[in-house]
Amino acid sequence: MSAATRIAGKDLKLRLRDRSAFIIGIITPLALAYIFHLVFGNVFASETLDLQIGLVDLDGTEVSRSLGEVLSEIESQGILEVTDFDDADAADTAVEDGDVGAYILLGAGLGDAAIQGSPFTIEVVGDVDAQTTTQVATSIASEFGSGIGRAQLSVATAVHLGQGPPPTDVVTWGEEAAQRPPAYIFSDISAETRQLDASTFFAAGMAVFFLLFTVQFGVLGLLEEEENGTLSRLLAAPIGRRSVVLGKALISFSLGVISMTVLIVATHFLMEAQWGPPLGVAVLVVAGVLAATSIMGLIASVGKSAEGAANLGAIVAVTLGMLGGTFFPIGQGNDVLSRLTYITPHAWFMRGLSEISGGGEWTAALPSAGALFLIAFVLGLAAWSLLQRRLSR
Amino acid sequence: MATVLAAQDLSKSFGDLVAVNQVSFEIAEGETFGLLGPNGAGKTTSISIVAGLLEPDNGKVDINGTTIRTRSTAGRSDIGLVPQELAIYPDLTAEENLKFFGRLYEMAGPELERRTGEVLEVIGLTDRKGDLTKEFSGGMQRRLNIGIGLLHRPRLLILDEPTVGVDPQSRNAILESVEELSGQGIAVLYTTHYMEEAERLCDRVAIIDEGVIKAEGTRRELVSLVGQKDRIHVVMTGDVAEVARIASGLDGVHETSPSDSGFDVLADEASRLLPELLACVSSAGASVSSVEVFEPNLEAVFLHLTGKALRD
Repeated sequence: MSAATRIAGKDLKLRLRDRSAFIIGIITPLALAYIFHLVFGNVFASETLDLQIGLVDLDGTEVSRSLGEVLSEIESQGILEVTDFDDADAADTAVEDGDVGAYILLGAGLGDAAIQGSPFTIEVVGDVDAQTTTQVATSIASEFGSGIGRAQLSVATAVHLGQGPPPTDVVTWGEEAAQRPPAYIFSDISAETRQLDASTFFAAGMAVFFLLFTVQFGVLGLLEEEENGTLSRLLAAPIGRRSVVLGKALISFSLGVISMTVLIVATHFLMEAQWGPPLGVAVLVVAGVLAATSIMGLIASVGKSAEGAANLGAIVAVTLGMLGGTFFPIGQGNDVLSRLTYITPHAWFMRGLSEISGGGEWTAALPSAGALFLIAFVLGLAAWSLLQRRLSR
Repeated sequence: MATVLAAQDLSKSFGDLVAVNQVSFEIAEGETFGLLGPNGAGKTTSISIVAGLLEPDNGKVDINGTTIRTRSTAGRSDIGLVPQELAIYPDLTAEENLKFFGRLYEMAGPELERRTGEVLEVIGLTDRKGDLTKEFSGGMQRRLNIGIGLLHRPRLLILDEPTVGVDPQSRNAILESVEELSGQGIAVLYTTHYMEEAERLCDRVAIIDEGVIKAEGTRRELVSLVGQKDRIHVVMTGDVAEVARIASGLDGVHETSPSDSGFDVLADEASRLLPELLACVSSAGASVSSVEVFEPNLEAVFLHLTGKALRD
């Protein structure tokens, strides 16, 4: 057994005895996640994963039916559910009853207007409490209308030049336009389904927020050893100085992984948090704990005293936690703030988790994990260098 | 006796402050060497360099022929360090503290078990080995602090003011433990600002002040440096003048001063002279009522060398 693991083993025993790591690393985040889940759970319970869209086709032409075919295609991908209604009244009732979040109304004469190049109207009626569903329905209708409009313009141009096909071919053109993959709509829907549900969001948010507090028990312990006089005894022993730093990093890493693992398992069973594929979660946890350890290592390297470093660590942890969106999804707000969140490991962790918790492959977590590993490497290298210098003074 | 520690021309500065300047000393096997000086004299800096905690700006430290460097572990196993602070873990038991540090010195298995038991016995904590050290008295913690330094059988034990803040009873127990170490062949480097401890424990003493060793030698050698003599005050009945006259002819006597009830003698070494002096009184048909011996101490030497008292 190396000196580093002996030091880490001793520290683990001390932390288990004083129970501080247990309280900060497990009890507090679990309790807060549960409380937040109870208080704010309904705020997060949106319809985004349950897109119910209605279709009222009063036109009945090939043009209008092509929208139904497009919607069926999207429905087959499991992104939304489509319900056909005979008339607007039935659709209105369904919206009021909450059976659908919005419906698209294709009025009579739409097909003729499209063929003749006349203006036409597509209506979208939505529930005020189902904003996302209404926006998605509007996007689909808008894209469909744009497709027909582009076809009309092409036909009109060709006819004007005397080279175009007969106007009746606009039906085929309209269908083609409507069936063209509306890329931004799919992208928009995908983003919504990637959002974490309330249980998972608060469980993950609190876990990663308290992770920095948990790992500080390891690396900041170096300053405690300095103040208690035991550091001089460690440095006088026939072990390398790097073993002392490595031992502290090892205990930080161990406490972080233990804390995260317990929280993941506990919130899965207690709060039904859906963390996603275990392998992806494990990669994110390892990367996140390493990043947190590096941050606290850097703080330990510049701290004047254990207490001062702990205070600085708390300020950094809270700031990064808020900025990283562990309490609320700050990234959905203004663009500058949204970009700023990604300087924090918290944001990358949450982003990685959102990629896999909605049913994605574990590999979807790799880009975020890569960013976390990069943060860990850069800050870890700086912390390692500064701590070595500190011990050599 | 083989030289265990050789410190040569050690210098160390922190910014503009010269903490240690050209400090040199040697310690032989079984010898207790004291660094005596007030707080801030450079004692702790010196032993930090010796223990490999600080890299000197100049000079070097050899322990059993191995040069000690901060970035190397060579020679570290020969050193036992007892820091001034209580360098123990309060939430570990006495036994756990000993075993943790023992393992850092590559001790394991039955050897570690046996040695831990021995040290617990030596420091008198066998009955409390399973108790958390935060529940110990200050004296017990101090003893454990020393025990950890002894555990791996170092050839050089460095004790940095081990009795600071200790009650008289524990202090005496610590001093007795240190006295036993020299009998075991361990070289001891002992720093203190207590003159009595240096006089009691140390075979040789270096007086250090402002980072410089002012003088070094046995207590007698140091005392002779300042020209002070031992004084023997004898109270007697009989012919005082005759006895004083005879005593003045004894080897090592510098001066005799008769009075009504007895006489004073200034001599090089009172302890050696005393039997001869008493025989002299007896041979003159006189009888001794009382004898007092006054030996010049290191406090006086320190005052002479630095112009200030040890506790200034």
